Amino acid sequence: MGCFFSKRRKADRESRPENEEELPKQYSWDQREKVDPKDYMFSGLKDETVGRLPGTIAGQQFLIQDCENCNIYIFDHSATITIDDCTNCIIFLGPVKGSVFFRNCRDCKCTLACQQFRVRDCRKLEVFLCCATQPIIESSSNIKFGCFQWYYPELAFQFKDAGLSIFNNTWSNIHDFTPVSGELNWSLLPEDAVVQDYVPVPTTEELKAVRVSTEANRSIVPISRGHRQKSSDESCLVVLFAGDYTIANARKLIDKMVGKGFFLVQTKEVSMKAEDAERVFREKAPDFLPLLNKGTFWMIGILLWLFSLHADLIYFCL
Amino acid sequence: MQLLRIISQKYRLILVNKLQSQCPQSNLSPSWLFKGLLSILRKLKSAPDQEVRILLLGLDNAGKTTLLKQLASEDISHITPTQGFNIKSVQSQGFKLNVWDIGGQRKIRPYWRNYFENTDILIYVIDSADRKRFEETGQELAELLEEEKLSCVPVLIFANKQDLLTAAPASEIAEGLNLHTIRDRVWQIQSCSALTGEGVQVRLQEDLATWQHDS
Repeated sequence: MGCFFSKRRKADRESRPENEEELPKQYSWDQREKVDPKDYMFSGLKDETVGRLPGTIAGQQFLIQDCENCNIYIFDHSATITIDDCTNCIIFLGPVKGSVFFRNCRDCKCTLACQQFRVRDCRKLEVFLCCATQPIIESSSNIKFGCFQWYYPELAFQFKDAGLSIFNNTWSNIHDFTPVSGELNWSLLPEDAVVQDYVPVPTTEELKAVRVSTEANRSIVPISRGHRQKSSDESCLVVLFAGDYTIANARKLIDKMVGKGFFLVQTKEVSMKAEDAERVFREKAPDFLPLLNKGTFWMIGILLWLFSLHADLIYFCL
Repeated sequence: MQLLRIISQKYRLILVNKLQSQCPQSNLSPSWLFKGLLSILRKLKSAPDQEVRILLLGLDNAGKTTLLKQLASEDISHITPTQGFNIKSVQSQGFKLNVWDIGGQRKIRPYWRNYFENTDILIYVIDSADRKRFEETGQELAELLEEEKLSCVPVLIFANKQDLLTAAPASEIAEGLNLHTIRDRVWQIQSCSALTGEGVQVRLQEDLATWQHDS
């Protein structure tokens, strides 16, 4: 759509010939195919199990509103999702490129991955979360968080399509815009919480076609402890540099270390320039600069806790 | 985004108003306005590095920070909800734009007034695809336009997130917000997608040429 100008007086209008000469702009949203918004929302449902299969949303916006006692499974990536006025729902959201925003919801259990996580005017949400930035809540209480834990075959590619990294997940440190002194409006779910008890695998014929697993060791996003209570004061950082098999190797490494009794604290995937490498690795930087590919590279940092092992920094070059 | 057009319109408007005292500021006489205006015009014309203070407001999740980063040509793929404010200076053809992006959560909107002073342009960002909150954003905008410290400040409304499926067109938003009833200042509404960058471009040369020709 074009621009609308304030029409002050006739004299002014005449002195602004650019108003009339302006050609209607052609933006990408003017030219794209028209889609029916009704295909991209669940509204006013009660006691139903509904969902969307992989490929059916393909990065569009999705709306969920006024649902009660429903099980909702969005098995695809989307642009942004708002959840309004929902009560007692079970919700799975595939990777969301932008924000997930819960407003006026109560008693919901969710598993989701997104760039931004926002909550306002909600009571009792339990969320297994993968969030690329710090989650925020406002005017809400009894909001509980755990680490994203979910698998189905298409999920890994959906993360890519949504521009999300499985290694960038700050699920456990929440910012509360309306803190109450003496109380906590949010907390962490118990570490041994079983996802299937909160957000179960769907059992309808249509949704069963998606081969879901909620097992921890199959989760697309590595289960991290984040800000949970420390079990040890010793930690080590593992750094992997970009390559064809880096992601697979990082996962293998994590699985192996966790299998040996280490605890995964945090992972991070970053792009680095030469200056950044110098700052992080200091005197060891020259060893890594040859790995730089035309000035920038990315790496995965894995922070692990150890028991009774002394180590400074482990370098892992692939 | 026609930033410079807004600036030129603003000063044209004040010129027109100087004898009619339509700017509702009781402690300012027309001659004060006229003097102040001339000095501003003089500065703009001669000194190349004139600073323009832009205030970026709107509800939380409207896309203000994405817009700010887009203006500064920075990466927009990893933006976190704003807890306080962000500020960036963008150099644009002799103009230094100081852009203040303030967090929009309901709880912290009372703090917006701390940033009103000396604002040259108000940019109000709306999530065009969040119809559930149109009333809320309309309310906040209406309250801003009543603020004394923002009187006569031109307002540029960005109908953002046009890339999304349910985005209302700018015309619908303009109607819903009753923008046509704004009489005390220059205003403009612009469709955009801060994410893709469309509608955010500043057409400086054209605007500067218009302004120079008119004054």
